[in-house]
Amino acid sequence: MRLKAQMAATDQAGSLVAEAPGPRPRSAWRTRLTKLDSKASPYLYISPFFLLFAGFGLFPLAYTAWISLHSVSLQNVDDRTWVGLDNYSRLIHDDQFWNAVLNTLTIGLISTVPQLLIALGLAHLLHCKLRGSTFFRVSMLMPYATSVAAATIVFAMLFGRDFGLINWFLGLFGVDNIDWENGKWSSQIAISTIVTWRWTGYNALIYLAAMQAIPKDLYEAAEVDGASRWQQLRHVTIPGIKPTIVFTVIISTIGATQLFGEPLLFGGAGGYRGGADHQYQTLGLLLYEQGWFNFQLGRAAATAWTMFLIIMLAVAVNALLAARGRSVFAVGRRRRPV
Amino acid sequence: MSAVSQRRRGLRRWGVGEQRGGPWTYAVLVLTTIVAIFPLYWTLVAASRTNSEIVQSPPPFTPGGNLFTNIGEALDQVDMFKALLNSLIVSGSIALGTVLFCTLAGFAFAKLRFRGSTVLLIIILATMMVPAQLGVVPLFILIADLGWVNQLQAVIFPTLVSAFGVVFMRQYLLKALPTEIIEAAVVDGASSFRIFRSIVLPAARPAMAVLGMLTFLMAWNDFFWPIIALSSQNPTVQVALNSLGQGYVPDRSIILAGTLVGTVPVLIVFALLGKQIVGGIMEGAVKG
Amino acid sequence: MPSPRRLFRLLPSVLVLLATVALLLVGCGGDGEEAADASGGATTGGGSESAEPVTLSVGLFGTFGYEEAGLYDEYMELNPHVTIEETSIEFEQDYYQALQTHLAGGAGLSDIQGIEVARIAEVTQTQADKWVDLNEFGAEDLADTFFPWKWEAGRTADGATLGLGTDTGPQAICYRTDLFEQAGLPTDRDELSALWEDWDDFIESGKQYMANAPANSAFIDSASGLYNAIIGQSEMQYYDEEGEPIYDSNPVVKDAYDIAVEAIQANLTAKLEQFDQAWNQAFANGAFATIACPAWMIGYIKGQAGDAGAGKWDVASIPGDGGNWGGSYLAIPAASENHEEAYKLIQWLTAPEQQIKMWTNGQHFPSSSVAAADGSVAAATDDYFSGAPIGEIFKESADDLPIAHLGPKDGVVKDTISQALNRVDQQGEDPQASWDQAMEEIANAIE
Repeated sequence: MRLKAQMAATDQAGSLVAEAPGPRPRSAWRTRLTKLDSKASPYLYISPFFLLFAGFGLFPLAYTAWISLHSVSLQNVDDRTWVGLDNYSRLIHDDQFWNAVLNTLTIGLISTVPQLLIALGLAHLLHCKLRGSTFFRVSMLMPYATSVAAATIVFAMLFGRDFGLINWFLGLFGVDNIDWENGKWSSQIAISTIVTWRWTGYNALIYLAAMQAIPKDLYEAAEVDGASRWQQLRHVTIPGIKPTIVFTVIISTIGATQLFGEPLLFGGAGGYRGGADHQYQTLGLLLYEQGWFNFQLGRAAATAWTMFLIIMLAVAVNALLAARGRSVFAVGRRRRPV
Repeated sequence: MSAVSQRRRGLRRWGVGEQRGGPWTYAVLVLTTIVAIFPLYWTLVAASRTNSEIVQSPPPFTPGGNLFTNIGEALDQVDMFKALLNSLIVSGSIALGTVLFCTLAGFAFAKLRFRGSTVLLIIILATMMVPAQLGVVPLFILIADLGWVNQLQAVIFPTLVSAFGVVFMRQYLLKALPTEIIEAAVVDGASSFRIFRSIVLPAARPAMAVLGMLTFLMAWNDFFWPIIALSSQNPTVQVALNSLGQGYVPDRSIILAGTLVGTVPVLIVFALLGKQIVGGIMEGAVKG
Repeated sequence: MPSPRRLFRLLPSVLVLLATVALLLVGCGGDGEEAADASGGATTGGGSESAEPVTLSVGLFGTFGYEEAGLYDEYMELNPHVTIEETSIEFEQDYYQALQTHLAGGAGLSDIQGIEVARIAEVTQTQADKWVDLNEFGAEDLADTFFPWKWEAGRTADGATLGLGTDTGPQAICYRTDLFEQAGLPTDRDELSALWEDWDDFIESGKQYMANAPANSAFIDSASGLYNAIIGQSEMQYYDEEGEPIYDSNPVVKDAYDIAVEAIQANLTAKLEQFDQAWNQAFANGAFATIACPAWMIGYIKGQAGDAGAGKWDVASIPGDGGNWGGSYLAIPAASENHEEAYKLIQWLTAPEQQIKMWTNGQHFPSSSVAAADGSVAAATDDYFSGAPIGEIFKESADDLPIAHLGPKDGVVKDTISQALNRVDQQGEDPQASWDQAMEEIANAIE
């Protein structure tokens, strides 16, 4: 896997760091201290994070795994009955589960692919010298800064069946009122719109930060070769930020697989069901429904760990695709950094 | 700099990659801005109207005159100032802590070689894939045992664990921190702490700024966990908003007025620090 | 020697370190306490007024209305050493989840927590150990002041009393007189009450309405509202006397479902989902002419339809026999530190005098039989609803209330079947298929 190769390369470079010999002879004590420093310091560096993780991340995870093998309700958390893998097999046979898997996949695709493409385009535009560039950059983050509650109220009103703005707008072109929430595709498109709205600016800024790190000489060389801006985008920018693109694809995939807040709030009071027919219930919502409405923690935990497996799979596939460049960004020769 | 590129610079005021934006660029960006800001703008509109005005169809688009009444009402119903202060403390601590810890760890994973680094990195990646919601129950039991319920620590510490932050910083440092510089410093006999302070931190500044800002915003808007761990006695903004506008009819205009008040600090941060943060990103450009 | 600039660079790290240390110290030192000095377990019998100041937290959902009716202020005046703080969450589902999570951790609970009637069976049957047995403070003496069925539901099988009843939801039909007039239906409430003997008559009226309906207007707001109203009228609902689920075999349930389906197929509904944003908006926009009206819906209608709706509404008796929808209890979690003071407060809040006030103030129909028999309750009228004698109408409905057998998962069953009706109503699904799906989902959820 490409990721592993990358990490191996890093390790090699790191080994150079750790073992570079000094040109002057040093005292033995100093050498030992240096050795200790370089051997121990990495662990010191990562220890704050891992200490916190051990406390607040590991325990809940382990607990969840343990719970998933029991039948237990939220009302009486200590009253557990061992059921082994029963929760998991029930899940596999549950139509609602597969429905949620499919929904998660479709919503994931509709929300991430356009989003990342738009983010890339926006980052490219922002990469220019602009008047008021600060204003544009800051305003792109506004969706991310808008509270979920406010955003949801607004979008629910936009997508309302009888009184929504979008239906009113479409009505100007003679289109009948669309019942956004109750259709399978319409609800998923609506939710994807909310997700895209919220996260595009965020990803655009990440791309922008990465674009700033591309050496200018590459662009100059491309200019000299007569490349247009579009060609520069394809042949210089995108390969230059390839690791970042892989990174955002992975993060977006993980986020899309866990999608929870937007569909929940889109549905209002009954949102946890993902619609009357579970038409937009994602895995995250299914998990929430099982644990918090049916109060069946054991089964919810089993769903959570099954999601984990699915996410791992999805990320692996996606990372492979993105890294191999089989995605839309298939590019030609890669320019060597000077 | 070669003669060719020097000539190029003479021809254009800015270098390649920093071309001037054309009219289409501006058009697209303006459109994007409108789309991005619209819900926030509409929050202002709704907050300045009455509830019955909002539910009409079509809804109003221009602000009305009710803003201060609604805000007053919202401030009456919940202790907004306390909530704002709490949110500031919480989001600030989380942002600072996350940036620091993730830069430390990200640097280690990016540039240092040590036993078990691959395994640990995979563990970190893996934790990102486990859905967070279910952890609420055991986490709450843990927090309750620590006696932290209704205290800000309950919200701060669990959120400091940001796998995303580690991966993000690692990603950035891989690219932005040339190994040669570190080697040179080691050759000069610098301790690793020195290296971190003098080399890594400056190089990571743009990414740290971005991560810090994103983390701050995420923490500010987080509601799922704080609603469980905190209560209205010691709320953050989102928790306070949750109990706003109750009555026979949820008064949306008051809820949105409260939301507006809750978003104002964020806007202030943007207004004051926006240039700095963007400047941080630009600085990275100059260095690169 | 590091230069000042270097030191300055160090500043953020130092700050964080300090902050972390500070937080840790505070965290390990303090303990999660929000109430002021509390007189913990003083169980001396009533009467002795503890002079120690106490803060009581009250956790509620939806619209209990105590704050609006000024009852907290009144109590605080009567008992100066008590401070009351209320937290209210809009949706009962969100509230109940938070409550259960807090119960699981034994922390974050208020001194007093509200419990809806759809959940009370779950609490009494599975969680008796987490709640205070109010009999410790002499609650049994209050039994006679409540409607028997309301009192019974708040007790466990062992006879412990966990909750005191707040309000109930006797039912009626609220309708728009102006829309009825436009459609050529009678608008007089007595006439309509006589006309609507049973649900078939009601549906007939509906068809008549739709034949001449004003534009963009349906007869009733939603199929699930209709369904809930019908279910609320019978004794056996989703569980039988032994506590066994009978939702799939009880003919009452299927019949109610079928009547709702009939309404859908005759195009009588506005295809809305109750408590949705669109539903909220529909009040003001005249999208429906009738709505199944438990007593607490009165306040809701006024709030949503606003001043523009005053005088356009009226109330008629419900087809069939009365019925109940909603109502709650107040209970004290065992984890509270102020059992006695909390008990005094809930006893006062649910006492007949206060229940009468809640009725006159916000149309919360009393669960206290003593209060319900009071003249001021029975004689109440409402100008917004064209001067309807709501006191009489709801009292009549309340007197007919059956002692319904409640079960722990009533809420889940009710929600699932409501959604099944939504599928038929809003998505055009086949009624039988939708019913089958609901049965499957319920079985999946509760077993």
